[in-house]
Parts: sequence; C-alpha cells; structure tokens
Amino acid sequence: MNSQLPSPNSQGARAAVLLAAAVVLHLGLSVDVRAQGRGAQAPAGATPRAAAPFDPTGYWVAIISEDWRWRMITPAKGDFPSIPMSREGQRVAEAWDPAKDTAAGEQCRAYGAPGLMRGPTRLHITWQDDNTLKLESDYGTQTRLFRFGGTSSAQGAKTWQGVSTAEWIMGGGGRGRGAARRGSMKSVTTQLRPGYLRKNGVPYSASTVFIEYWDLHIEANGDQYIVDTNIVEDPVYLQAPWVTAIHFKKEPNGSKWDPSPCDAKF
Amino acid sequence: MNGIVLTRIVMLVGVLLGSGPAFAQIELSGSYAPILYEDYIERGPGSDLGDFTGMPLNDEARAKALLYTSNLPSTMERQCLAQAPWVQMYRPRGISIWRDVDEVGNVIAWKLGGDYLRGTVTIWMDGRPEPSPNALSSAEGFTTGKWEGDTLTARTTHMKTAWIRRGNGIPGSDRSTITAHITRHGDLLTIVTIQEDPIYLTEPHVVSRVWQLNPRANANQYVEENCNTANEIPRLQDTGIVPHYLPGKNPEADFMIRTYNLPREAAMGYAEALYPEYRKTIKGVYTPPASCGRYCCGWIERQGLPGAAPGLTCNDGGLGDLGPPRRDAK
Repeated sequence: MNSQLPSPNSQGARAAVLLAAAVVLHLGLSVDVRAQGRGAQAPAGATPRAAAPFDPTGYWVAIISEDWRWRMITPAKGDFPSIPMSREGQRVAEAWDPAKDTAAGEQCRAYGAPGLMRGPTRLHITWQDDNTLKLESDYGTQTRLFRFGGTSSAQGAKTWQGVSTAEWIMGGGGRGRGAARRGSMKSVTTQLRPGYLRKNGVPYSASTVFIEYWDLHIEANGDQYIVDTNIVEDPVYLQAPWVTAIHFKKEPNGSKWDPSPCDAKF
Repeated sequence: MNGIVLTRIVMLVGVLLGSGPAFAQIELSGSYAPILYEDYIERGPGSDLGDFTGMPLNDEARAKALLYTSNLPSTMERQCLAQAPWVQMYRPRGISIWRDVDEVGNVIAWKLGGDYLRGTVTIWMDGRPEPSPNALSSAEGFTTGKWEGDTLTARTTHMKTAWIRRGNGIPGSDRSTITAHITRHGDLLTIVTIQEDPIYLTEPHVVSRVWQLNPRANANQYVEENCNTANEIPRLQDTGIVPHYLPGKNPEADFMIRTYNLPREAAMGYAEALYPEYRKTIKGVYTPPASCGRYCCGWIERQGLPGAAPGLTCNDGGLGDLGPPRRDAK
C-alpha cells in the first residue's frame, strides 16, 4: 500500500499538496462568505450591536418627496387615496374629529409607529444597550425600542410605539477577511395602541402587525440613506397589507433636531 | 504530465472552487407587480397639473414645467419624453427582470423591462467602463451595476432629455445620472432611485417604491417599444405648432394652491418644502380644505358604493382594480 503513495518529491505529491492548498483556500473563502451569508450568525458571543452589518445610528431626516400632500400636512377629511382601507376603516376615517381626539387625550393617534414613520420627522437612532436599538422622533417626541433576540410578547399595555423585536438579516457580499459586512434589519412591531396611518384619521387597529426591513445605502459622494420597506397588516381596517418604502437621509449632527408635541389637527 | 501542467490544473481548480456567488448575490429574475400605495394619483390616473410637490426644482425647471400642456405629448417629436430609464418609479405597471449570462453562467447583465420603458434597461455587471461623456445618449441610457451585499446598485448615465415624474412636464436633462438600489426582501422588491441633474434639480431627487413578485403581473403587458411617434392631434399635423402656455399664462399654475390650499413654494417644487422644518413655517398659515373633492374614497373599489361621506367624489381615473386581492371582495 505504501508503495502506491507518491514520494514527497514526486510530481503527484506536489500536485496533491497544491490541490490541498487550493481546497483549503476555497474553504477559507467559503467560510468567510458563509459568515456573511443569509441567516449567518455573528461570531459566537457577539452582541447584536457588535454583529450589526451596518451602522444605523445617528440623525436621519425624512425626505418628503412622495405623497407630500398626505405626509407633510394634514389633508382634508375624506382625502385618503393610496390606502387599501376596508369599508369599516373608511367608515371610521370619515368620522375623524381631531377636536374630539384632543379632548380625549388621544392627540398622538397619528404618531404611533405605523403612522409616525411616514411623518415629517427626524430620527435619532442610538444603541440603548448591546441588545436594544433606540429610535427617537422629534415629530411628536416619540421613542421606540428594537429588542434583538427577543420574542414579541402579547403581555402588557398597548402603546403608540408598541413592542418591536429585531433581527439582522446578513447578506451575501465581499470576499476575504476584512470584507465589509452587509445586511438588513428586520423588525416586527406588535402591541400597538390603535392609531392613525394618516393624520386625517385613517385608522389602524390594536390587531395591527407592523413589519419593517431596514437597509442602508451609501452613495459615492458619502451621502447615506436608510430605507424602511414596511408592511402594515391590519385585519380590521385594511383590505390588504399596506406596503410602502420610506427613505431617510443621514445628517451630520443633531443641529436640526427640534422636538414637538403631538398635535391632532396640524 | 509534467509539473507545470499539474500546477496549472490545480490552480485552475482552485480558482473555480473559489468562484461562485460574487456575481449574483440574490436572484432578482421574475415578474413584479407594482404596489401603488404611494403617489397613487400620479401613478394611477395621472398627476394634477401644476403639482410639483416633493421635487427639488430650480427656477429653470419650474419655468419650463409651467409651459407644459397635456397636448404636448401628443405631438410626434415629444411623445417619447415620458419614457426614461427608471420611469417605472412613476408608472402603474409592472417590471420584468431577467439576466444575461455568459457561456459558464456568469451574469453579464441584469435586464429590466416594463410596459412604460422605452428600451430595456441593461445593467452591465461585467465591469465595463462608462462611455465617454460625449458618447451618444439613448432612451434607455447606459447602466452599470455592482452588488453591495444583497442590494444591486446601478448607475445610469447617457440618457436622453425626458420628463421626471408623470404627466405634468417636470423636465430632466440628458446630463442626469440616476443611482438605483434594488433590494429584494422575500417577494417584495424595493427600488430606490436618486436622480441628480445639474440642469434642473437643486439637489438629488430620491424616490423609493415597492413591487411584489407575481408571475401573473406582466402577462400580455410587456411592450418593448410602446412609444408611438405619431401626431395624435390632426389639427396640428404638419403645422409645426408646439402646444404650450406662454410664460406666466398657465391657468393651472395655481391649481394646487386653490384646490388644496397648498403654499406656493410647496406646490412649485422648492426643495425647502421637502424637510420637516418646512412644516413648522406654515403652521397657522395652512388650513386643510373643508372637504375632499377628488380621488377621495380610500381605495378605488369603493367607487360607486353607497355610503361615502358627503362631498366625496370617487374617481379611479378609469384604471379599475389595481390592488392586491381584497379581503372583503365580493
């Protein structure tokens, strides 16, 4: 048997060594790619903060380049195209009364998470701790927490910002050690207090599930945009999931951060 | 077999083993239906005339847009001005995406086709350089792409002069560049476009839209060249007349102001109106209209059903049912 093994100096031996090296090289690359592949986990023990495939922190401003008339200002009662409302949703929206909302202490109805994200707002995103991302808005002065590694609980009071769980979705990408990590954040928000998708009373119910995919795009000139592709699922007031994408541009600092309280009318 | 040959074989094996997903990080091929839950009026029945909200226009663009009449695209020379690369961001139709591969399966280009595209957008993935700035512009432009994680980022140059947005004459020049980010999350396809135009825009114009994978989306809808160059108005035939409003004479220039009480700078596309701080400048100035008079009822299926609030006028612009299946469909 030994006689069939190539001697260390033979061409066959050299080929075997080179082939082994090639395979090792491939495996090394593959491991690196897989580490960045879909569903890949961060290195053992890494916190969600350390494992983040992009940096979502900083100040971000909504660019109201779409649906301007429904996002920047309060449209007329009954002016709600683009939303797949159910008949019950439409009935409720047609009864919108901002004065009544204010009197009832419900002036933040349009500032719950599904409505807030399409509002004219700045966002301040920070890590509250290694497992929790904090999103603040100056529009309505709201705070939402994204908890990684948790599961959504049906316990507790429903709030405007609800309970958000988050996970990184690691993307494919660069080869080799040190290559940039890429990926998205997916969040699911439940436990929402009933509110409005639009300022003029388009409702969402307490059964709403708000799903978001967050992506960062960095331009050649250094501009950064976070895009929030989001799905509002409400079996009560929507005929079908309401799907939109919202974009925010990164700002250099918080100099334009200007908190304002909820306002039911304007 | 000598050592040199063996070494080359082994190196080739190594290279082949090391190749793989670098060219295609995620499958984009398929047929996608538009989700018209943003800018529905523009993408469905069509923009209001004089509605430049959400745009960062300069004075030249505003002046040119206000010369526009809806007869203008009926003239032979201007019928294709609406057909620009990435125009699907403003249209109600679907997108078909496929790929061209070389003999060993590497993706050479991603292709985007759609009913309103004049010429397929080809996103070259083979590393070819952009043409000279003096190279010919084409209807579909020249586009290169690269993967950034699971996002395909494309850059389009060398396009022709074309309208931005839909149906009200907002101009874009042939010096525009468009960066597009295409990201797929499950069956949802998000496309973000960032258009820069040194001639007509004061800052990049950013739009983000969503489509949904749907094998039925584009059946019998895909038309490679749907831009018919024919004179649609007989009285203009061979006259050389270009329909237009003279400067300062457009009767629709204040349509948004008188219909929706919008401030002029918002209706006329000043960039300052794109940002949250603008809203605070109009507090106490802007008041909503007393009631909605156009395209009101929440979604178009409601058209004709009894029970809409007084003063509502339901109007789907003749497009019919464009949305996903309804839960309460009859």
